[in-house]
Amino acid sequence: MTPPPAMSVADTMRPPPEPPDSKINEDLLSVMYHRLSPGYLLLLGATILSVVAAGGTWVYQVYIGLGIGGYTHPVFWGAYLITFVFWVGIAHAGTLISAILYLFRAKWRNAINRGAEAMTVFAVLTAAQFLGIHVGRMWKSYFILPYPNQRGLWTNFKSPLEWDTFAISTYATIAIVFFFIGLIPDFAIARDRAKGIRKLAYTALSLGWQGTSLQWKSHTRSVLHLSGLATPLVLSVHSVISWDFAMSLVPGWHATIFAPYFVAGAIFSGFAMVLTFFIPLRRIYGLEEYITEYHFDNIARFILLTGWIVTYGYASEYFVAWYSAVEPEQTSFWLRAFGPYWLSTWVMLSCNCIAPQIFWFRWARTTPWILFTVATLVNIGMWFERYVIIITGLSREYEPAVWGVYTPTWAELTLFAGSFGFFAMLFLLSIKVLPIIAITEVKELAIHDKAHGGAH
Amino acid sequence: MPETSRRDFLKLVGVSAGAAAAAGCSDHVEKLIPYVVQPEGLTPGNPVVYASTCQECPVGCGLHVKTRENRPIKLEGNPDHPINQGKLCAKAQASVTRTYLPDRFLTPQRRGSAGLETTTWDEATSVVAKAIEAAGGKTHILGGNTGDTLSGLIDRFASATGAKRTIYDPAVSETLREATQRVFGVASEPIFDLSGADLIIDFGAEMLDTGPSPVEHSRQWSTARDVAAHNDGGARLVYVGPRLSVTASSADEWLPAKPGSEGLIAAALAGGDIAKAAAASDIPADTLRRLASALKKAKSAVALPPGAALASRRAVATAAAVLKLNVALGAIGRSVTIPPASDTAKARSSFANALALVAAMDAGEVDVLLIHDANPVYSLPAGAGFETALAKVGMVVSFATSKNETTEQSHFVLPDHAPLESWGDARPRPGIRSLIQPTLRPLHDTQALGDSLLSIGRAIGGDVAARLPTGSFRSVLEAAWAGAGFRQALKDGGVYTATPSAATGEGVGGELELAELTLSGSGEFTLLAFPHGLLSDGRGAALPVLQEIPDPITSVAWESWAEISLASAEKLGVEFGDVLEIETSAGRIEVAVYPRGGIRDDVVAVPTGQGHTVGWFASKEGQGMPGMARGVNVSDLLPAQVDEGGGRAWLTEKATVKATGRHRRLVALQTQDNKRQRKLGEAITLAALGDAGHGEPAAAEHGGGHDGPHEILVPFDPADDAADEQLQRAFPNELSVKVSDYRWGMTVDLDKCTGCSACIAACYVENNLPVVGEEESRKARQMAWMRLDRFVGEGFQELIRGRSFMGPNHEKLGDTDIRNSPMFCQQCGSAPCESVCPVYATYHNEEGLNAMIYNRCIGTRYCANNCPYKVRRYNYWDNQITKWPGQMDLGLNPDVTVRGQGVMEKCTFCVQRIQFARQESKSAGEATIQDGAIQTACQQTCPSGAIEFGNLRDDESAVSKKADDPKRGYAAMHVLNTRPAVTYLAKVTRGKVEG
Repeated sequence: MTPPPAMSVADTMRPPPEPPDSKINEDLLSVMYHRLSPGYLLLLGATILSVVAAGGTWVYQVYIGLGIGGYTHPVFWGAYLITFVFWVGIAHAGTLISAILYLFRAKWRNAINRGAEAMTVFAVLTAAQFLGIHVGRMWKSYFILPYPNQRGLWTNFKSPLEWDTFAISTYATIAIVFFFIGLIPDFAIARDRAKGIRKLAYTALSLGWQGTSLQWKSHTRSVLHLSGLATPLVLSVHSVISWDFAMSLVPGWHATIFAPYFVAGAIFSGFAMVLTFFIPLRRIYGLEEYITEYHFDNIARFILLTGWIVTYGYASEYFVAWYSAVEPEQTSFWLRAFGPYWLSTWVMLSCNCIAPQIFWFRWARTTPWILFTVATLVNIGMWFERYVIIITGLSREYEPAVWGVYTPTWAELTLFAGSFGFFAMLFLLSIKVLPIIAITEVKELAIHDKAHGGAH
Repeated sequence: MPETSRRDFLKLVGVSAGAAAAAGCSDHVEKLIPYVVQPEGLTPGNPVVYASTCQECPVGCGLHVKTRENRPIKLEGNPDHPINQGKLCAKAQASVTRTYLPDRFLTPQRRGSAGLETTTWDEATSVVAKAIEAAGGKTHILGGNTGDTLSGLIDRFASATGAKRTIYDPAVSETLREATQRVFGVASEPIFDLSGADLIIDFGAEMLDTGPSPVEHSRQWSTARDVAAHNDGGARLVYVGPRLSVTASSADEWLPAKPGSEGLIAAALAGGDIAKAAAASDIPADTLRRLASALKKAKSAVALPPGAALASRRAVATAAAVLKLNVALGAIGRSVTIPPASDTAKARSSFANALALVAAMDAGEVDVLLIHDANPVYSLPAGAGFETALAKVGMVVSFATSKNETTEQSHFVLPDHAPLESWGDARPRPGIRSLIQPTLRPLHDTQALGDSLLSIGRAIGGDVAARLPTGSFRSVLEAAWAGAGFRQALKDGGVYTATPSAATGEGVGGELELAELTLSGSGEFTLLAFPHGLLSDGRGAALPVLQEIPDPITSVAWESWAEISLASAEKLGVEFGDVLEIETSAGRIEVAVYPRGGIRDDVVAVPTGQGHTVGWFASKEGQGMPGMARGVNVSDLLPAQVDEGGGRAWLTEKATVKATGRHRRLVALQTQDNKRQRKLGEAITLAALGDAGHGEPAAAEHGGGHDGPHEILVPFDPADDAADEQLQRAFPNELSVKVSDYRWGMTVDLDKCTGCSACIAACYVENNLPVVGEEESRKARQMAWMRLDRFVGEGFQELIRGRSFMGPNHEKLGDTDIRNSPMFCQQCGSAPCESVCPVYATYHNEEGLNAMIYNRCIGTRYCANNCPYKVRRYNYWDNQITKWPGQMDLGLNPDVTVRGQGVMEKCTFCVQRIQFARQESKSAGEATIQDGAIQTACQQTCPSGAIEFGNLRDDESAVSKKADDPKRGYAAMHVLNTRPAVTYLAKVTRGKVEG
């Protein structure tokens, strides 16, 4: 039994009553104007520190060489690429929420869509850096761009890595534009309340927004059109990422299930990350009125659904490996579960397949600490999923004579930690300068509810 | 903001552009300076080749030293030389680096308070001369094998100064000389010619690896069993020995006899007591009877006597028994030549004399000790007590080229030239005289040994000077060659005539004292100290390439290991890499264990060659740990024991083996020997090969289920694959590209591959492959473009639980189904690496090569992931700067790009050689490149001729003909449809010898 699709999910639980207009402004902007608490500063300091550590490691790596990673002869891709795929996956929930759910008019998205979009942008930025960290000669990485040059050199459009380049850059562009357009009316609200340098900044950022009906009309139109543009990207970007693997001939990689399975996995981890960030945020800044159990309930249902798709993906991989009767494929999958990386595989399976099953229960879907725990487990599980796919596939390939075992090194772990630091740092900074909950959209919902008597 | 004027703006632009340009400059500027006066016969960019002689071991193969702009960069065999006929082993290939080693002495040295200090030649010569004068007759000269004329000069020096001379070279078998003396009355080393043999019994001689003449014997063996020429499969090889060695892996039958019982077996096969031999050797009497009857039936059988590993205290009797077996087989005169005795240094080498010298040193009878071409502190067994005796010698003078354990204890070092800087000659066997000529001006302030001795003699003056020849060593050499045509010999490498025979037929010896082996000490194990295939007696340890190339059997590099059987390992409770403590009556070592099936339960085997405490590569100095030993020296476990003739006995000890509870991760490059029935290292039985009815490929042997239901049954022709054809197929109307005349291809005959690794060494030197060192090798990040995969049998789908670094070992006692499969870029027609490279750093060229553009590579490493053969190597570091210490960069091949940090690299089929041949062919006005004009480095050196290279589009080319083999030919992992240009020819399983 699978949960019902998203559209009807929106109506299964009655949305809570919305607070009055002025209070909305007050509450939602208060996050920005909260005094900088010691806890916040400590957290920000920690994230900055980890980014500095990662930056230092990266500079050292560029200087000395990729050898500081744990690469071994058959395993040429390691923690950097895993982290890249992980963050690209995280980046998916934002666009799904703001574009697809927008098109489906799932109202529950309004309170979380700004945060999710911010996450998308930050996650894509984090992921994109890992492409540069991963390649051996990052100072030549612009070779991957098809720019006209006097040497007559061109890029190889057959390579999935070339597709990656386009997928990621397109996605980053759309995500940033989408994020910014949504922010314009809220910047205007912030502008109206701000003083000094902030006022100047918000004035510039709000692009002269006055809230006229013409402006609103254009705004709504552009959001709609951008949603239309962004919707295929939700499906295509991670499909393309999955083809990095599926197009190769590495056992455990070349599976046709990869595209849908990766997309589901991306949404799965994206939603988990939304929970990971919104649960503490809501608690700390007292946003219980805006981000409610109703939202959590819906997100949890999504996690349950995508969790099942991912589980199906795993099952399908194993089935096809067995059914194909191709010995290297079978051996690879058997060793995936019981060989050198059995622990990673079982971490992945328990976190991604078993942990979300608790969401069959409504109390679990509405209890923040359970949600937070499961979300964290899902994040861990999804990182391990990429680890399992990339590392086990490569370490047990066609040539038994050069089988080898990869273990991440301090450098890779520092950069991995730094990726979380970078992402969290951007998030922490953003809640102080951006309205992290879409004020206008929350209001819109409130007005909409009033007009319709709070019911459909 | 103040207004910026146009002027200011332009200034700003100028300054920033200048700054940007300056930032782009590196801090050292290199200039290309042309010759002011161009040397005669030298065209910059063209190689100059000199003929010379290899001095890495006493075999004395002929060399062609390829130099570029006066730097030797590559050694190749001299095709005219009768011993090696153009081929070389791995040791010789790697030895070009000796010239450039960071260990070399740059100047003469004298011991001061802070160790060795620089001195001048004048000072060193006069001090040493005075010391020799003062010592009277108490001067001794200790040396290894040296060239002929040089040896004569040393003799003259010794007689002029009253010094006594001792020659000991661990690589020379005086045991065999003594045995020949007993059996034939001639003290010489017999020469074995296997080319006409049809049954060869190798009694632990390791004829393909560390034997009496491995390059020559590999060639003869492979000719004798070439299935193209012999319908019956040609010569059979039977190996007798306790361990599945390189030779045993290529044998048709392996008798894992108890070590020390070889003499009894030989005697039994010659018509002696089979029951006694069976009891002593652990080999069933039936097997011996079968073998004896096979020998009777054989038209041309030959037996080779044991090498150092099996030299017990009765080694002479054992070797004599094998020689007598040859007499019984009628092999003398047919496959075995007994040359006349000679007086070369090689023929005078004696371990007993070395021990006598140690005794004299101990007794205070040696005041001055001159040491040349030897490293006795390392190579003599611990039990000989050389080091303590050395402390009693007043002055120790070493003539070593590079630092070693002995120079560390010397008072003076008068450094000799490196071999490639020296004049000299060699007489490796009667009838063959070859020259050694310098190929570059000495790089450092060194002096030839001969000249050093001459100048010491002249410094002593008086009668001594008068009794020495005038002029330099070179003039002495020229005088020695006066009648033999020195100029012509320089060109040919020497003067070659047939080896004369001094004994025929029957032999003269009486009964042999053969008995079961008795060993000293207690313990359950017999200690087998076997010569390392690459490092030999330790002289190879200084050469980085030899350290880096994994041992062909265990794939261990840079370290020592101890082999014990799987059953013994289980009994001791140890696994791969656990550290064992091995103790004998003479000493104790700790070494990591390599458990394997291919060794007797009662034997613990440790290779020689490691355990150096001095040397950049030989010890751990290059890893920043000077003085730290690399691996262990197995000589530390051995007392000074001799055989009946005074030769060195290695097989004398029982050993106690204990687990220490510690573990180290051995550097082992190959962790699985199970090929899982994948299409790699295939084999075909002789019966299937002879069966004319079925033209099925080798794979069909094994039930056809090899690659599952996805086997590609439609044969492909790699000759069809080149870039322009693909384009033409895609755009038939739009492109009119010229179809290339060439599709380069290769065949590798697995039936001939012995696993000697000479190809790998040649590839390292030819293609500037960096040596990554121990720690990087442990991470399997070696840069070898060519590696040796070694599988045991056909394998099976094996599912191993848990995280184990080393897979199970599948060798079995007595089983020789070993598949050596050299693996390198297959230059696929449909290459998985090409399509995934986003920047076209690897692409298909019009001659079918997977070309690499190093400058274009950004290091995504996708190509390496997608290569099913895993032949691509990645530069994780700036290997080209960090991995060439000393002057090693001078030996780089200027025709091959050195690769930078972050770049992928792989085999290119020696594209530089293809281009060179193309130029030559154009200059000669030929329409196409002649078949055979291009020889890749691996092909060129392969002693057994297993590799063929050429144009697949030419139906008449040698490679095309071989590649068309319908039964033995197969493409590795064909199921992936990569369409490789490399065709492997399956190994032929001949089965056990029929009685």
